Amino acid sequence: MHATSVRPLGVLAAGILLLTIGLPAAAGTGFPYRLMRRIALPATGVVHALLFDPQTRVIYVAQGHRIEGYSPAGKPLALHRRLGGTVSALARTQSGQIVAAVRAPAQLVFLSPRTLAVEHQRSLDSGRPAALLYDRTARMLFLESRSNGSIVRLDPLSGRPLGRVRILGALGQMAGNGRGTLYVTNTARNALEVIDARTMRRAGSIPLSRCHAPSGLAMDRVGRRLFVGCANGRALIVDADLGFTFVRLPLPGGPRLHAAFAFHPFGAHGWKGGAFFAGAKAVAGIQMQAFIRYRNHGQLPLPARCSALALAAPVGELWLALASAATGRPVIWVLGAGRSEAQ
Amino acid sequence: MTRGARVVRLLAAGVLGVLIGLPQAQAALAPWSALAGKTVLFVTGGIRAPQPNDDARVARYLRKLGLRVRTVDARVSPSAAHGAALIVISSTANARVLGNKFAAAPIPIFTWNTFDYPNLGMTGATLHRDFDVIDPVQHYADSFAVLYGFGANITSEISRAVGLRPRLFGTLYLEPQTAGWGDPGPGGTVVTDFFGSRHYAGVFTYEREATLADGRTAPARRVGFYLGSDNFHLLTAVYGPAAQDPNLRRWAIGLKLFDAALRWALSPPPPEPIYDPRALDAALLKAARGKRLLYVERVNGGEGRHSDAHIVAHLRRLGFTVTVADQTAPQRIARGMDLIIISGTCSKWKLANKYIDVPVPLISLEGLLSDSLHFSGRKRYVDYGEHGELLESEDPPENYLDIVGAWSPMAAGLKPGLVKFTDHPGVLKWAWPLPDATVIATLPNEPREDAIFGYPKGARMAGGFIAPARRALLPLDNPSYDQMTAQGKALFDAVVLWALGR
Repeated sequence: MHATSVRPLGVLAAGILLLTIGLPAAAGTGFPYRLMRRIALPATGVVHALLFDPQTRVIYVAQGHRIEGYSPAGKPLALHRRLGGTVSALARTQSGQIVAAVRAPAQLVFLSPRTLAVEHQRSLDSGRPAALLYDRTARMLFLESRSNGSIVRLDPLSGRPLGRVRILGALGQMAGNGRGTLYVTNTARNALEVIDARTMRRAGSIPLSRCHAPSGLAMDRVGRRLFVGCANGRALIVDADLGFTFVRLPLPGGPRLHAAFAFHPFGAHGWKGGAFFAGAKAVAGIQMQAFIRYRNHGQLPLPARCSALALAAPVGELWLALASAATGRPVIWVLGAGRSEAQ
Repeated sequence: MTRGARVVRLLAAGVLGVLIGLPQAQAALAPWSALAGKTVLFVTGGIRAPQPNDDARVARYLRKLGLRVRTVDARVSPSAAHGAALIVISSTANARVLGNKFAAAPIPIFTWNTFDYPNLGMTGATLHRDFDVIDPVQHYADSFAVLYGFGANITSEISRAVGLRPRLFGTLYLEPQTAGWGDPGPGGTVVTDFFGSRHYAGVFTYEREATLADGRTAPARRVGFYLGSDNFHLLTAVYGPAAQDPNLRRWAIGLKLFDAALRWALSPPPPEPIYDPRALDAALLKAARGKRLLYVERVNGGEGRHSDAHIVAHLRRLGFTVTVADQTAPQRIARGMDLIIISGTCSKWKLANKYIDVPVPLISLEGLLSDSLHFSGRKRYVDYGEHGELLESEDPPENYLDIVGAWSPMAAGLKPGLVKFTDHPGVLKWAWPLPDATVIATLPNEPREDAIFGYPKGARMAGGFIAPARRALLPLDNPSYDQMTAQGKALFDAVVLWALGR
């Protein structure tokens, strides 16, 4: 899915500290990408969403009630907006607008990408928003509410609800195939729920054998593969056309995994494709060597739980927002194939 | 009623039950619920198994099906199978170490150890010709080809259980794979094949008492399956919304095939037929009563005239209402009939494609009709032919048959091996039917020249023709009926009785 997903956000306070000294080594077990920059956020509050603009010149960070824009280098861009509640998710629509889901009072806010000025907003009556997904190819906007197990398809311009489906269980991350099908992990039922996005009806369920509490989900829409992260330490690769799991790989498990996929995630001469899962303890990569061949490419331990993840393939960077239990101030890790600033 | 008569009646009832009640004498597959708790001896490579492999996955899967699994390695004593309901042999077990230790086990065997096929007598012994393992290192191109299997047989119990059709299907998930094939003997049943030829069977079976490729008799059911050591988890299946698409459902049947083949191996085989001409006669008397039979011959046809008359007399004694028709009579006379027998006196040329598509069981006593009746391909002396016909055959006259399908009621309870069919060597016809046919007897030393076989209703015959009713070949040349031995007559009666079944 294009709009790399997202989660609440809070205030990103002023100082962003680029630590150029004492960066941890790229010492994952086989994980090939190093920590390039570490950005400490001065404000407390969980970062619920990270979102790049199409040219990766701006990254929007949602922390608490605030959205702030930063340069890829981590410098503030005098671009910020405070909203009426915790921002739980961000997405960017075809028109370029930033869509923010506010948890309480539940509302959808449409913002200018250049100024973050509120262009319009709409109250929601579908529970507390937890995630947004904009399917750029299908031009469909989806809003997920985990409090009442519903997914609403919204008009991407007005935010008007176009259809709704309720699913028994506990919902996790969403992914769309660009052709009118939406997938969402069902943590309670160990399954992938399949939704016909045009009718917003449940089309079926793909069982995920020996996968407990799947939460992270990403899709390779060209290869038609779904990458599922399971709490019990497995990543499953599912052929979306058949619902057939053909690869199982070890993964640092845990609840609330975040997943992303991209082709050439770290440049044209690197991996053909890669899926990344980040959770409570580590970030792990699954390297796509061919559409039929994948391998686990190690993991990098994380000092704190990952609360949001964004992959900027054009610049070859993986951004992770980490909640810091010690200070309450989140840290953003920027991983990439380039040289560490510590070196 | 005398005690003897009661016994004959009981036996007759049993024979009838086998012949008519159970198509092809293949008992229905037992439900998993009935198989739960059975013990499986799972023979693997143990610590010497090549890595990676799926043995642990298979064991887990078998347990999930409710089976009790005892995993052993290839060095295990054959006595370890004692008490097991099934032996499953993984390709991780070294076939050289296995040797023939399980060949005589009166326990069903389900194996994907292709190199062990010859040890078990399931194929000949020559690598590349009788069996082979395709793998992505040695045979990169073919390792893609084995992703596509073909439903060679659509009427076996396994085929019916998975809804197999005479089309391609996906064997394993979409990447170059290791898969094995074997070329079973005529007593085997090819269920699926590769590369467009039944010689490359992916899934094949032997019923208990069927003759194996090495001439021995299967002491229990045997199944060969195309799996490799590490691709059980890639057996195709379809889930979610895709499973609602009938084409995808019929395409991704690898796991279903595995399940059905496993279930078939574990299910009780049909009762062994007993050679008892009296009981057979009694069963046929009961089955024939009130049935209308069309006997097609060349009326006043020279050397076979007496033989035809005696066959008709025999059929009438059994209780059939027999209508004798000349070969030139129009096909419409077959309407309302329960059975058609085409005499060896008929001229293939004059018969002119009649009776091919009538939805009435049909027995041909003339093997040279095999192409026109879709019993076999059309190449004379390759797909069908004859022994002993002066000037028309290079093979000498023959009067023995080799029983390879003793398990079938069509074999009349005769034991596997040679049986004297007629008193004196003469003309015997043969054909090479498609895998849907059950082969009962071949000509001696000619495993591809099948003399007695039957297609069940719905079977895929040559040219894609679907059998509208049962079809059988029984090679009785013009005057041969009067020269038949008692065993030969029992075979005749057994085939007639089988043809009356459903």
